[in-house]
Amino acid sequence: MISLKQINLNLPNFALSDINLDIHKNDFFSLIGPTGSGKSLLLEVIMGLVPFTSGSLFLWDNDIADMPVEKRNFAIVYQDFALFPHLDVAQNIVYGTRYHGVSGQTAEKRFKRLVSTLGLEKIVKRSPQNLSGGEKQRVALARALILNPTVLLLDEPLSALDPLFHEEAKQLLKKIHEELEITIVMVSHNFPDVLYLANRGAIIRRGKIKQQGEIISIFEKPNSMFTASFVGMKNINPVYFSGNRLFIKDTNIEIISSHMPGPGIEYMGIRPEDISLKDLNSNIKNLFQGRIKEIASYGVFLNVCLKTGDFEFEAIWPRSFLRDHGLKNGKEITFGFHPESVHLF
Amino acid sequence: MKRLEPLNWLFAFISLPLILLLTLPLIKMTLEPSFEMLIETILDKDVISAITRSISLSLCAGLLCLVMGTPLAYLLARKSIVGRRLIEGIIDLPIMIPHPVVGIAILSLAGRNHPIGRFLADVGIQIMGTSTGIVCVLLFVGLPFYVNTVKAGFESVPVRLEKASRTLGAGGFSTFVRITFPLTWRYMILGIIMCTARAISEFGAVVIVAYHPMTAPVMIYERFTAFGLKYSQPIAVWLIFISFVLFVVLRMLSKSIQPQQR
Repeated sequence: MISLKQINLNLPNFALSDINLDIHKNDFFSLIGPTGSGKSLLLEVIMGLVPFTSGSLFLWDNDIADMPVEKRNFAIVYQDFALFPHLDVAQNIVYGTRYHGVSGQTAEKRFKRLVSTLGLEKIVKRSPQNLSGGEKQRVALARALILNPTVLLLDEPLSALDPLFHEEAKQLLKKIHEELEITIVMVSHNFPDVLYLANRGAIIRRGKIKQQGEIISIFEKPNSMFTASFVGMKNINPVYFSGNRLFIKDTNIEIISSHMPGPGIEYMGIRPEDISLKDLNSNIKNLFQGRIKEIASYGVFLNVCLKTGDFEFEAIWPRSFLRDHGLKNGKEITFGFHPESVHLF
Repeated sequence: MKRLEPLNWLFAFISLPLILLLTLPLIKMTLEPSFEMLIETILDKDVISAITRSISLSLCAGLLCLVMGTPLAYLLARKSIVGRRLIEGIIDLPIMIPHPVVGIAILSLAGRNHPIGRFLADVGIQIMGTSTGIVCVLLFVGLPFYVNTVKAGFESVPVRLEKASRTLGAGGFSTFVRITFPLTWRYMILGIIMCTARAISEFGAVVIVAYHPMTAPVMIYERFTAFGLKYSQPIAVWLIFISFVLFVVLRMLSKSIQPQQR
């Protein structure tokens, strides 16, 4: 539905280079990257707030590069929500209706529906200054959604919220996407959020797209060390091939991977949650004798450092393992992982 | 009561002469004329018209600033225009130029020897010795105070609010009227106050461009040179008093509307 072709934008201290993106109708598309990667800037480029230097931006088959912001019928919800401080909640929500030819009755109907869907009944007369982060966000969403936008752009919608509202807001975004059948483009630096919400996305680093496609395939088959570490891959190590056999560099540890070794493969990575105890999974091919070097507790999860010879693996196990398997520092164990879990890039 | 630290005592001690320098002459001058003299002065038609003229022409300059200075302040606050620093420097010039120089500069342009002067004369606008000329001078000296104040106002509104308004379908003009203006009109009132205040006090430039019609500061100077200190003081007291009341009212006005805003 929206396609960006070879978009370049040169700013004094930053550049977006050769951005090609395809966002489909009804996608929950996520632009993912660390702080300063240019993902919010890219969102403003799509919105039309920042003109780009070269390239083209299509909505269906129309080049909308020169279309003014207010004519695009895209809506954006900013990280700080950008509510108008001199207007109350209701006035904020209906702000844009007059520009979209939404007549009094239709506006009224949509207003009522959104206020009830988003649970804003009690605060419509309040001033934005007196709202919590979660409430502000719901007002900003209502203000955007009342216009029935073609695309809803979300700039880090979850990062400014207290942990308490975080989960609630996540559910709400999912609900909005499913019930309103709207196309959403969300900027985020938190991969677990993206994994939960988005179906497709792109990884951005320093103004360049590193990988794009289905979120699940980015998650499972990261194509670079950067993407791999960004999507939560651990145990990333340089590798070498000896014939068809795969070894961790500077060791004689052989790794069996079900992924095809191809040209340009330099690293392997294993998700820490994919490493299991031998007792639990008898048919794993990569088995190692070792001992527990360190156990760090992260609430419900344990971060366990496993040592085999001079080499260390990092595993994440449930807290219940402490009791069920008698885990403790120095304990000798056999652990391993499935060849499927060995990712090469 | 909170105890002052030694450092604060020291600073208070150092500041005291300054406060005295500002207040003592004014207090002395205000208390000097007798009540009868004050009454007699304010009943003098010439005095009334001079004070009225001073205040109305200064307000006129303030309002012209509102109309023409606001767009300028907006551009300076929002757009990275070429030579912005230079323009800002030029706007600040009136603050440092000796006031008679301002008058001389304006006259040299408005005289018959200059095409602009001839053009103005042809369309019937006279600068020398007219209210138009006085407003022109007051605008010159008051503009920096208005533009700088309102520019700060525009800078205090996050660009993001204007962007958000655009994304909701409002054009640039609508956005200014519905978002930017309601969030900055207080600064505009303050700007008018600053500009008008500066204009009321102007003497040096006005006296060169227009000795007549007489503004209050010129009249005070005239009475001082012709009759001495005693006869100039009552007018000064009235000018200060009336201006003071005017500004207090303006300030209260700008605070009373929508007190909960921002």
